[in-house]
Amino acid sequence: MSDNGKPVVEFTDVSKKLGGRQILDKLSFEVAKGETFVIIGYSGSGKSVSLRHMVGLMQPDDGSIRIDGDEITTMSRKELELMRRKFGVLFQSGALIAWLTLFENVELPLVEHTRMSRKKRAEVVQKKLELVNLWDDRDKFPAEISGGMKKRGGLARALALDPGLVLYDEPSSGLDPVIAYEVDKLINGLRDDHGMTQIVVTHDMESAFTIASRIGVFYHGEMIQVGTPDEIRASQIPEVQHFITGGREGQVSMRSDAAIARGVPPGLNSRRDVSPTTGNEQDAGYVLLSEEEVAASATRESSDETSSLEPEESQHENP
Amino acid sequence: MKLSNNAVLNAVKGAGNTLVLLLEALGHITQVWHRRRSILNQMHVIGTQSLPITCFFMLLIGMVFALQTGIEFARFGQTNLVGLVIVSAMVRELGPWMTAFVLIARVGSSMAAEIGSMKVAEEIDALEVMSINPASFVVMPRVVGYALMGPALTVVGTLIGIFGGGIVANMQLGVQWSDYFRFAERGAEALDIYWGLLKSLVFSVTAAAVACSNGMRTTGGAVGVGRASRNTVVISLTLVVFFNYLLTSFYRVVKMFVSGVL
Repeated sequence: MSDNGKPVVEFTDVSKKLGGRQILDKLSFEVAKGETFVIIGYSGSGKSVSLRHMVGLMQPDDGSIRIDGDEITTMSRKELELMRRKFGVLFQSGALIAWLTLFENVELPLVEHTRMSRKKRAEVVQKKLELVNLWDDRDKFPAEISGGMKKRGGLARALALDPGLVLYDEPSSGLDPVIAYEVDKLINGLRDDHGMTQIVVTHDMESAFTIASRIGVFYHGEMIQVGTPDEIRASQIPEVQHFITGGREGQVSMRSDAAIARGVPPGLNSRRDVSPTTGNEQDAGYVLLSEEEVAASATRESSDETSSLEPEESQHENP
Repeated sequence: MKLSNNAVLNAVKGAGNTLVLLLEALGHITQVWHRRRSILNQMHVIGTQSLPITCFFMLLIGMVFALQTGIEFARFGQTNLVGLVIVSAMVRELGPWMTAFVLIARVGSSMAAEIGSMKVAEEIDALEVMSINPASFVVMPRVVGYALMGPALTVVGTLIGIFGGGIVANMQLGVQWSDYFRFAERGAEALDIYWGLLKSLVFSVTAAAVACSNGMRTTGGAVGVGRASRNTVVISLTLVVFFNYLLTSFYRVVKMFVSGVL
């Protein structure tokens, strides 16, 4: 916690079950004003779901989420709309509106929420688009630009109203290293020059260490460690080591679906229970998964996530 | 989970979602001026761009209808009456719902796919977090555009259909243009025309609401977008034929009331 007073974002014991799986499990963390809080973790560990809870796109089954001290889980739609104006969100794909040009996309929040004159709006849009180096492409439609440009356009739009809190969902994924580094510099600039509070969900470790004031490591719906980049680097927790070294150190163990269904906790100290030789890893609550299986399970999770909103689509859970 | 697989429950849920979305969109009707650009754009896509195919369809339908009725009337030597039957059928039935069918196939399906793609690309979520209500930004302009252009196309399509019937009557059935129009005038009175427009309005709003609602509920990537598009066509067509029956039944009662039978 930095010493800037009360936290901007405060999760307390937030739980969420989606498609029969516990995605968030009594998740608690705080983000202080002015810091860049980076959430890292395996694909499908619940990082993006926690972000969706933060902006009120999902409601937790249990627990409390406070933004600037206001409980958002009980807010009406109107209150949520007002609260959301405090933040900018950069979605994974940029999420630019397809039928508007880049300029119009960045102008959109200004048109909708301010009484600025056309001229003033154009000035703001120019400033934001120049910040992400896209001013020359302002008249292009999202379909005419690359993925990285879309993402930068999305960032310009997220910053249009000068929000105090910016949330990023995988800001560097799909960007070439040079642009990714530019985005990192931008994030640092926003913190240092504008004092913005920023929450970044990523699995790009290099970027995480570059931008983070603090890092929270997500593992199966829980924050297993929160600390400064140096503390995370020096972590003794095997899952953390495994993740930040890209699998070269530490151990990976992912709970099998059966174990999750039985509610076996991640249990970081029960590594001795995992015996690849006995063949009863499932009973121990863990299985060693190949990359393909991990990817498949991630896909399954993301479809579970959507299926909860659309229960009729979830037949695949009950084969 | 088992219960939610129930087709009836899903249908009720879908209908509820669609109705709520439609009402929400209509609640933002005060923003018509603010969203005028979007509405004009939709009117162009729904109306102007659909005009050629609608005209082609209606022309051919009018022509075929004239041929078919001509065969029967010829048996009684009453071929001159073709105009009367074509006009009453075109104004009351064929005009509104054939236009609705053309629009559902051409516009409804793509509307659902467009909104579905927005949903899976997180664009709808992005609107939500920007505090821009998708019911106002996405749905309302489409419903308004559809509600304006559906009846407009119906008027044009009906006239073209009547004209097509006239061509066949004149060239193949040997009916004089003057005779055709003399009887054509008797084919429809004011109530029939209003009722045809009312039908077209109901069909248009229904189709737009179904398309938007299916689009907004899209899940599961490209497959989901395809499913939303398909469901839109099936559900819209089903509702249109069903509402058509209801409206025609109601029309009969009104007509009887007006003509003093009731």
